[in-house]
Amino acid sequence: MMRDLIPGRFAFGKTNLTLPTILIIGYVILAADSGGTLLSKQALRGILAYLAVPIIIGLAQMVVLAIGQMNLAIGAMGGATCALMATLMADHQIPVALALIIGLTFATLLGVINGILVVITQLNGFIITLGTMTILLGVQYRLVRSFTVDKYSSALQEFGQQNIAGVPYLFIIAIAVAAVLSLYFAKTASGRNLLATGGNAVAARLSGISNVRSIIKAHLISGILVGVASGLSIASLSGINRSIGGDWLLPSFAAPIIGGVLLSGGTVAIFGTVMAAGVVRLVDVARAQYSLDPSWVNFVLGIIVLSTVALSEWRKRRAEENRITVRA
Amino acid sequence: MTSLQSQTPKLRNSRRYLLNRLLLNQRFALGLLIVLLFVGFGIATPAFFNGEFVVFPLLRDTATFTVVGLAQLCALSIGHMNLAVGRMAAVSAMTAGFTYEKFHFGLIPGVIVGLATGAAVGAFAGWLIVKSRVNSFVVTLSLDFALLGLVTLVYISFTDAAAFTTKPAGMDTIRNGSLGDYCIGNLCGPSLIPLLAIPSVVALVIVWWIFSKTKLGRELLATGANLRAAQLSGVPTERRIVTAHMMSGLLAGLGGLMLAMTSGSFSAAVGSEFMLPSFLGPILGGTILAGGSVAVFGTMLGTMLTLLIRQGLSVRGIGLETLNIALGSVLLLALSTERLRTFIAVHRKKGVE
Repeated sequence: MMRDLIPGRFAFGKTNLTLPTILIIGYVILAADSGGTLLSKQALRGILAYLAVPIIIGLAQMVVLAIGQMNLAIGAMGGATCALMATLMADHQIPVALALIIGLTFATLLGVINGILVVITQLNGFIITLGTMTILLGVQYRLVRSFTVDKYSSALQEFGQQNIAGVPYLFIIAIAVAAVLSLYFAKTASGRNLLATGGNAVAARLSGISNVRSIIKAHLISGILVGVASGLSIASLSGINRSIGGDWLLPSFAAPIIGGVLLSGGTVAIFGTVMAAGVVRLVDVARAQYSLDPSWVNFVLGIIVLSTVALSEWRKRRAEENRITVRA
Repeated sequence: MTSLQSQTPKLRNSRRYLLNRLLLNQRFALGLLIVLLFVGFGIATPAFFNGEFVVFPLLRDTATFTVVGLAQLCALSIGHMNLAVGRMAAVSAMTAGFTYEKFHFGLIPGVIVGLATGAAVGAFAGWLIVKSRVNSFVVTLSLDFALLGLVTLVYISFTDAAAFTTKPAGMDTIRNGSLGDYCIGNLCGPSLIPLLAIPSVVALVIVWWIFSKTKLGRELLATGANLRAAQLSGVPTERRIVTAHMMSGLLAGLGGLMLAMTSGSFSAAVGSEFMLPSFLGPILGGTILAGGSVAVFGTMLGTMLTLLIRQGLSVRGIGLETLNIALGSVLLLALSTERLRTFIAVHRKKGVE
């Protein structure tokens, strides 16, 4: 019943097939043009392993978009968390598992702080996270200075290389996290309350939902996801420096926006976000294949995101029509 | 009401009331803070009072970043935000640099082309917001991404060093010139005031004039205060949204040109540091994020305070990381006081009623 009342796609059931089609066609064209090298197990493993982080940061942004806000600090939170975990392991000989737990807790705490600041100041998350972003960049710079921290346990990096039947562990973790998040929004009252706040805060309050709790929850989940993304990046990279996280912002917005999340809040599209992260990755693969300048990725993604935003009014109207037909 | 009126003269005469009024006045408090900080930094590090290497660059940066703050203020006046402020600056600098490099334009024609581009990009952002009905910050953020790629691509495809380095005649004068170079008889201007202060002050006065004296300014503020009410009172709100973003783009472009002239090269890096200061200036100055109220001269004071903190810390040898932490904290603090101010304002209003 709830499913019909709230616009948006929760589970893998009712989804748009456009993105998967684009993904497959794009991959086939690139593979054919590369003369088959892209079809090798090695290449595929590389594509999937480096897809894990974009998926998670896209979801981290999506959760905040679901309450109609933004998290500009995603990259800085991730950078600071990576720097913290790397320095703990390299300089203080903290075991891997403990460092990962500390990192996850740290990122979650950062999310909670964002949420609390948003609630106290009653301002949009965007401007608050602009402030926390600046502070965290300072923290990250202070932790790693101008060095690259790479003297941490090689077990983590080995884990990052492993795979089951050609599918990297990192990618499996990302998909598992996406599935859990999907269940959270589809099946739990807490997830639905969060969407209700995003859809219409006044209506949510009148139905007895605490908007304060929803806002803090959204930023908290965003923090947890950033923590996961940080752990995945440490496992997939050979060292941590001050530039980590600097290029997370655009993909974090591109995935949910292209994936079909309404920017006014109230919806999530987990399958769409995962698929769109794949499309973003494909643009990057294409850039590498034709050895173009990295700024092409920014340009192409920027244009795609801008056109998606420009078409969003039309998309919203379509979503509303869908809702009406579902109700009738 | 009457009780308040009978009380007012007595209160107004008391010294404490005046003191309270002054301290609550944002501009006075900011000015006081700036003077105290300046003296404090100077006592801690005497090198801070060096005119040529500290005060002059500080004032030159204040001139540039005040314009950037005004660009954000125009968007804030209607309750919007311009996250592409840095990239609009980059586009303006790029087109101006392009005309200098490829067509050997003079200084002024290039500036005009740059400003026109900034205004056009701003107007496009406004148009997109009106048409798509999406949040201004989502539209301007995605515009920022697209422009970031575009600007870098233009630089790398037209140049080898990823920058336009042709300097039109007069650019060095603008960069290093001060009012001290201009004399009427024996009377010269103060050599500490940079030449770049002139466009900044002109922009400041024009923006102040628009918002406080013209119908256009009132319509912009009405749009920001309450969109529906403004619509019902016959304000062409859609057109005003485009106007506000056009002004924002124009001023961002001016800021970008000023920075490019200061740094001496037109590259994609112009404007990449604009976003945080663009918010700090107006917010510290007393502009409310929700729209409908602007503090034009406060923006200059807020900008000056920000840059003073930055300069003071870096003269003391404190690195980039601490600087970031300090500026981020200042922004969060300023936002919290905004909330406090609104709270006090609402409380006072209730008291009167």
